[in-house]
Amino acid sequence: MPMLELTLCTVGCAALCYTLGRYNRAATIARWHFILNLPARRALAALRSQMELDAALARQALDAADRALQTGRTKEAIDVLRAALGVLEDASADRLTRLRGMRVYSRMVRAIQPLPPPTGAVYRLRRLRVLGSVTGFGYRLLVGGAERFRLWLTMLGFGVKIVLHGARNSTAAAAQAPRARRPWRQFEDGLSDFETLDASHLTAFEALSASLAAIDSSRRVRVWDSIVNP
Amino acid sequence: MSLALALGHATKVALLALLAGVVLRGKLGQCWSFVVYVVAILVSNVLQSVWPAQFLTPSFWLVKQRTYDVLKMAIALELAWRVFAAFPGAWQRARAVLATVLGLSTVVIIAALRTASYSNVFDWQPKITTGAVWLLTATALVVVHYEIPIRDWQRAIMLGFAPYLLFYVTLMGLLKRHGWGFVSQFGTLDALGYGVLLLFWNYAVWRPEPSVALPPAVGGGASAGPRAQPMKEAVDAHA
Repeated sequence: MPMLELTLCTVGCAALCYTLGRYNRAATIARWHFILNLPARRALAALRSQMELDAALARQALDAADRALQTGRTKEAIDVLRAALGVLEDASADRLTRLRGMRVYSRMVRAIQPLPPPTGAVYRLRRLRVLGSVTGFGYRLLVGGAERFRLWLTMLGFGVKIVLHGARNSTAAAAQAPRARRPWRQFEDGLSDFETLDASHLTAFEALSASLAAIDSSRRVRVWDSIVNP
Repeated sequence: MSLALALGHATKVALLALLAGVVLRGKLGQCWSFVVYVVAILVSNVLQSVWPAQFLTPSFWLVKQRTYDVLKMAIALELAWRVFAAFPGAWQRARAVLATVLGLSTVVIIAALRTASYSNVFDWQPKITTGAVWLLTATALVVVHYEIPIRDWQRAIMLGFAPYLLFYVTLMGLLKRHGWGFVSQFGTLDALGYGVLLLFWNYAVWRPEPSVALPPAVGGGASAGPRAQPMKEAVDAHA
């Protein structure tokens, strides 16, 4: 049996069937339509408002929980802390979905507006500081703008997961020992880092929007025409 | 009527239906080399059925097989060109990937063809087929990586070819293992496999392509056109 050819053929066939089997033309066209019609400023303003609202809700819940704890209403404090965690969980799911989307869209443009190198110094949680520093190092090693952009997105994704993991642990620890200050402080640090990550998220979104908007009008029409009427 | 003859006639009918579908459904321009390939198969099938004494021979088999091989490569390259033509960034990358695959395949094929003959077909034919599979696979990988829109028919051509070619390489392997005593079973199994492929292509070509209904806002500039849907919704709905 020609085993080498058979193996190569099987691998190639499996890769083709897997990729094209999952391919969704309607979704691809919807994404291109989104890119070619993106009103960058409006989208950016909407995202900024949503992030401010998420941060305000989480912070308000954390403050309310803290006040309840100070006045001796321990059970209520833990319930409100869980509500703050719920806000963070919803916001994290939203951020991770958008990061996945940005990763997809970043492959659809020719060039991406450069972002500043990431740094760990802006974060409070130790794991995030390490993540920021490692990413900053990796960022300097990469040459391509698109690769650097995707490294940013990867860091933001990990960052969100680290914050969420920390917030869940802090909530569980606070529920076991409500009077201990450490879990509350960790939750507060996580929330602060989440806001910092949001600021980076917004910067990345802004860079992507600017890159998408840079597709000139005639090329926009040409690309769209080739998509729907090839 | 023998099974081989019945399969040959069924193949002719399926090929004619496929050609009619390609023409009537307006899919000619989506891949011209595919049409040439189908016509070549049909002509060779008719010649072998009507004048078996002249055309059911090893020398004709070699000629037709080389023609099919060239056309398969042409289909893969034309599909890549049509799919990426409007996307210069992706086309640049696709060109590099395809040139690498094509270069490697060409070196292997040239080496294999130096000693190619009908008697050792199972030695060189799988190499050529593997090259064709990888050209299609490379195109598919770049399409998915860059989110390039391709037509359902173009996708069906690629999705149909790859499993059939794998099946064909497997049959070639069996022919090598069992020797020429296996050749009649080889012919029957190959015709059956090809019949399944033709059924799939016929289904794909006759099925109406779903229309894409999106607001025609392209060209108005980034701030003028209505937003199709927020990024999150786009990803949520289709990821």
